[in-house]
Amino acid sequence: MPDVENTGTPARPPDGPPGRAPSRRAVLRGAAGAGAAGIAAATLGGVAAAPASAAARPQARDPRTAPDAAAADEGIVVHVRDAAAGQIDVFRGTTQTRLQDRDLAARLVRASR
Amino acid sequence: MSSHREAPEISKDPVADSTDVYAFVSPDKPGTVTLIANYVPLEGPAAGPNFFEFGDDVLYEIHIDTRGHGEPDVTYQFRFATQLPDPDTFLYNTEPITSLTSPTWNRRQTYSLTRVDHGGRRVLGERLICPPCNIGPLSTPDYAAALAQPAVHALSDGSLVFAGQRAEGFYVDLGSIFDLLDLRPFQNLQVYAKALGFTAAPGVNTPKFLNVHSIALQVPVSRVTEAGRPVIGVWTTASRQRARVYDAEGGGQFRSGPFTQVSRLANPLINEVIIPLGKKDFWNTQPPTHDKQFAQYYAHPEVAALLPALYPGVFPNLAALDKARTPRADIEAILLTGIPKGIIDGFTNFTGPVQADLLRLNTAIPPTTSKPSIFGLLGGDAAGFPNGRRVFDDVVSIELRALAGVTVPLVDKSFTPDAAAGELTDGLTPADLGTPYLDTFPYLGVPYDGYDHPAA
Repeated sequence: MPDVENTGTPARPPDGPPGRAPSRRAVLRGAAGAGAAGIAAATLGGVAAAPASAAARPQARDPRTAPDAAAADEGIVVHVRDAAAGQIDVFRGTTQTRLQDRDLAARLVRASR
Repeated sequence: MSSHREAPEISKDPVADSTDVYAFVSPDKPGTVTLIANYVPLEGPAAGPNFFEFGDDVLYEIHIDTRGHGEPDVTYQFRFATQLPDPDTFLYNTEPITSLTSPTWNRRQTYSLTRVDHGGRRVLGERLICPPCNIGPLSTPDYAAALAQPAVHALSDGSLVFAGQRAEGFYVDLGSIFDLLDLRPFQNLQVYAKALGFTAAPGVNTPKFLNVHSIALQVPVSRVTEAGRPVIGVWTTASRQRARVYDAEGGGQFRSGPFTQVSRLANPLINEVIIPLGKKDFWNTQPPTHDKQFAQYYAHPEVAALLPALYPGVFPNLAALDKARTPRADIEAILLTGIPKGIIDGFTNFTGPVQADLLRLNTAIPPTTSKPSIFGLLGGDAAGFPNGRRVFDDVVSIELRALAGVTVPLVDKSFTPDAAAGELTDGLTPADLGTPYLDTFPYLGVPYDGYDHPAA
């Protein structure tokens, strides 16, 4: 089963003291995380995606932008970072989803020959 | 230059290349702060047929740290969109552009402005129009009044915004400085220049008659400060989406993925002369909160070591300081944390112990409206650099003098700066600009037009 890491997924509880409005980072992380988890499931079709939280790691960077409304026909860029390790990045809209799937990576390599 | 083409990668991506950041309490509206971030370096005014513009695919941001932690508490985001009403002409305009609604102005940009803070995101403006580039007297007559001024937009929160072409306001003798740190007024003392028989000479303002693209905001002070914390830290970033595919079948490029930072700027000349060549591209990708990793370059600045070597006998005290490997706590304080209270009478722009390259502005210090010093704090004018930065501040001389040791006594009263240190300059002042600054927002001068520049 592939692992999924979404770089916009909240990696820790929203910061800011209790009783206050959620911080800017919390607002943005939450929004981006919700959007991208759906994208992973919707775009990978037959590939079973693990829950985003299962493999969530600290995000590389605060995306800072509102998530795009995901159009059904929106283009996707897939980057096989390391075929042997099964490391794949999927770019869509303003999201990036990292997969760990050796089988899918191998199929993509075969398809590209 | 301040940060024009300062790193290998960004030098190939002009629309994302930040060149200067300014932050100051507005002299004509002291209840407001003016924030300016310049992009697109070294624009030749005669740029037809494709005149300069912002990148539609770039996320431009101006960040403000209001809490002294090096992170953005307020961010203003600018996104641009280009319109081409008539794709069947090769011309930018087919008749004079007499207003921002001229129908024959054929390549125009609009932008959205969004504020992001701890309360969330709020769009402050959409479809805000930029002025055209200043083409010439036939195409853009009455540029300042008819085209530039109407492009200053008032926002619902009491702010003003402008985005478009401006005259380059930064003055620097680039050709001389990057020719082995030659300062023309002192080149009779420079080892290589002296060998060639060069005598002292006035500076040459390299970017004279060139333009830039500015994004500028004038914001009520209360919108960018927190109660009891008048010092803010300002910086700009440009970001691009992580994936780009050149899609000829689709008619252009396809971009996707989250935005990732490709350029940043706060204090002038940092990535230019403090950060070494092998780290410059990396520095551009880093947030200010990670700047501790670069602190060694502030503590032991290369320029301070080069000056005694290139100007033999002129900087003996600086040479001794460098030989002793004394960390430059003065430079670290000025550029990475701000100057704590008690160092300079009545002045502080300290933000806390977090080392972060921020342009720190104490908004409680009123603007100097009568005879401000272009040497800012070094000239006894606390309203100028390194307390924020005004458009006219001589940041080249200020930083040269600081690096040469003038500011060491702030942290070591036993040190006596070399006599030459307090005189260092590349020989330029605002009088060397080709057009004056403005007295009102957006302060940077009217851009040079392409008909008259370069002159016949």
